[in-house]
Amino acid sequence: MTAKLFAASAVSLLLATAAQAADSGPIVIGVPVGLSGANSVVAPSVVQEAQLAVDEINAAGGVLGRKLQLEVADDASGAAGAQKAFDSLIYQKKVDALISMETSAARNAGLPAVGKGRVPYIYTSFYEGHSCNKYMYVDAWVPEQQVPPIVDNFAKDKGAKTYFLIGSDYAFGRGMLGFTRKYVEKTGGKIVGEEYLPMDGADWTPILSKLKDAKPDAIITSTAGGAPNVTLTKQMRAAGIDLPYANLAVDEGTAKSMGADATGIYLSASYVTGIDSPENKKFLDAANKKFGADLKTPNDLSVPEYEAVYLYKLAVEKAGSTDPAKVIEAMPTVSFTGPRGAIIMDKQHHAPLTMYLGQVQSDGAVKVAATFKDVDPGEQCPNLK
Amino acid sequence: MLLLLDILTTAAILFVVSVGLLAIFGVLKIINFAHGAWLTIGAYCAVVSVRLGLNPWAGLPIAFVVGALLGGVAELFIIRPLYRRPLDAILATWGLGIVIGQLITLAFGRDVQLIPNLMSSTVRVLSVDYSVYRLFMLFAALAIGALFALTIEGTRLGLSARAVIMNETLARSLGIDTDRVRLTTFMIGAGLAALAGVLLTPLTSVDPNMGVAWLIGAFMLVMVADTSYLALAAACLIFSGAQVLVSTFVSPVLGGISIAVLAALVLRINPRGFSRA
Repeated sequence: MTAKLFAASAVSLLLATAAQAADSGPIVIGVPVGLSGANSVVAPSVVQEAQLAVDEINAAGGVLGRKLQLEVADDASGAAGAQKAFDSLIYQKKVDALISMETSAARNAGLPAVGKGRVPYIYTSFYEGHSCNKYMYVDAWVPEQQVPPIVDNFAKDKGAKTYFLIGSDYAFGRGMLGFTRKYVEKTGGKIVGEEYLPMDGADWTPILSKLKDAKPDAIITSTAGGAPNVTLTKQMRAAGIDLPYANLAVDEGTAKSMGADATGIYLSASYVTGIDSPENKKFLDAANKKFGADLKTPNDLSVPEYEAVYLYKLAVEKAGSTDPAKVIEAMPTVSFTGPRGAIIMDKQHHAPLTMYLGQVQSDGAVKVAATFKDVDPGEQCPNLK
Repeated sequence: MLLLLDILTTAAILFVVSVGLLAIFGVLKIINFAHGAWLTIGAYCAVVSVRLGLNPWAGLPIAFVVGALLGGVAELFIIRPLYRRPLDAILATWGLGIVIGQLITLAFGRDVQLIPNLMSSTVRVLSVDYSVYRLFMLFAALAIGALFALTIEGTRLGLSARAVIMNETLARSLGIDTDRVRLTTFMIGAGLAALAGVLLTPLTSVDPNMGVAWLIGAFMLVMVADTSYLALAAACLIFSGAQVLVSTFVSPVLGGISIAVLAALVLRINPRGFSRA
């Protein structure tokens, strides 16, 4: 008799704790990210910035009285790994939201699970555009925001009329350069060559020889980040090519790891460490204090991750709960002023952004050459409200 | 002219990358799938020697010695029991490659490593400006090839190695210490792979997976060349010619697979590849 009673009370106690856990336990944010593979160079900085945002929010009292907690999963920078990472985060870890920078292949592979699991998802990587899903919001740039500053500047300052385009053979590479071609041709320029190498390709020689033959005024490249980008730039410099060169896939960290080869490269980004604003200064101080010498240079992929955590926090607070339908509804209405300025994802699930045209200096730092305020992402997802 | 230089230098790079694999396959009859990892080891030897403040060129001898020593260890403990089980040896070396890649990641991180270029200028050859370093690779390939030929044709070790290649049982009955020939050959092959890794650093990014991109091409070339370094040189020239021509006139994406397709074709027509052609 006593044993039975004891068992019953134990069960009810267990049930009570479980119910309580759902209400006051931590809000779990899943971060599927390419810790291995092509994104492995930049992924650590993304994880650091997510951790920084979560720690800051928790120190200030959390969200609706609950703590935030990160759950990081390696998506191996590709489709197969992303399916596993998304499945395990959504179905096993039961995350409340996904916030992550990923390759386009990984994002596309993960989206079906996002729709099925009804999980709010903030995508924080710049990408080729036009990826639309009810549950996904994007706080990073698309070609419509990144390419015009470069082409306009090259046309005006360098008098460039002919362009040679080089990319890695994948969705981002082809998408970015496809848009670049359209934009160049629309503004009266001419494309004299457009070449791609598979992502694991290591020898750019024939493409560089074609480039020399084509004698363009300027070069625009869009490779996978990290290794292919370094390889292409090394070989281009070794071949003695010294034209105005804009790289759509380089960030400050990668530029530093290229050393002298990166000098003179133009990049267009929504974040560079040199942004002169109190928010950016506060952010950099906090990051330096938390990670010290281990800090990976904050960049255009990791800062949107930092801001996205705050945007999610604001959306949950506005919705009054983590209920996906309510959070999704609140998402485009909240604005957060972070290192990149005020971010609000109210343009068909995308965000207007201030873009910076920078040039890599000989010490690896990026100097801002021109600023373009609140560039509109254009028609990304006209079928989403 | 540009096209010709591209073909010659690409062939040179392929030869430098695959000669270590050939040495091991020729004598030991096993495919060393950890070859890519040894390329990576070599490149990281260059990273370390630069960090220690040494001249970037010092990376070459250091990488050869480190690569050979690590190769010796691998041969003694991992490869030696597997000579009679070549399929298991493929698995073991592949696994070894993964382990080495992860160890390098643990020690240096996944980031791309920065190394000052060995040479970075261009030189005017006839009518075109061409990368000095790629021309240097041509010289390096010839030097390595010549040394390799001298070792095989002109030394006691080369003689023993050739005897082991032709008939191992007979070689052993003649008093040749075949175990030692194998150990030495594996060390030389591993050392050459590490050396190639240093030579690749100005051409490619240095990261823990850098060797993988080169492994498949080297593997195809050695399959076609069988045990002969002359056949390897011929295969490098023909395949790099195909790769550069297809990349230039058709598409670099197809150019990237031309070596694999050609190797398959050659082996279909003549299973012995180029070695008896």
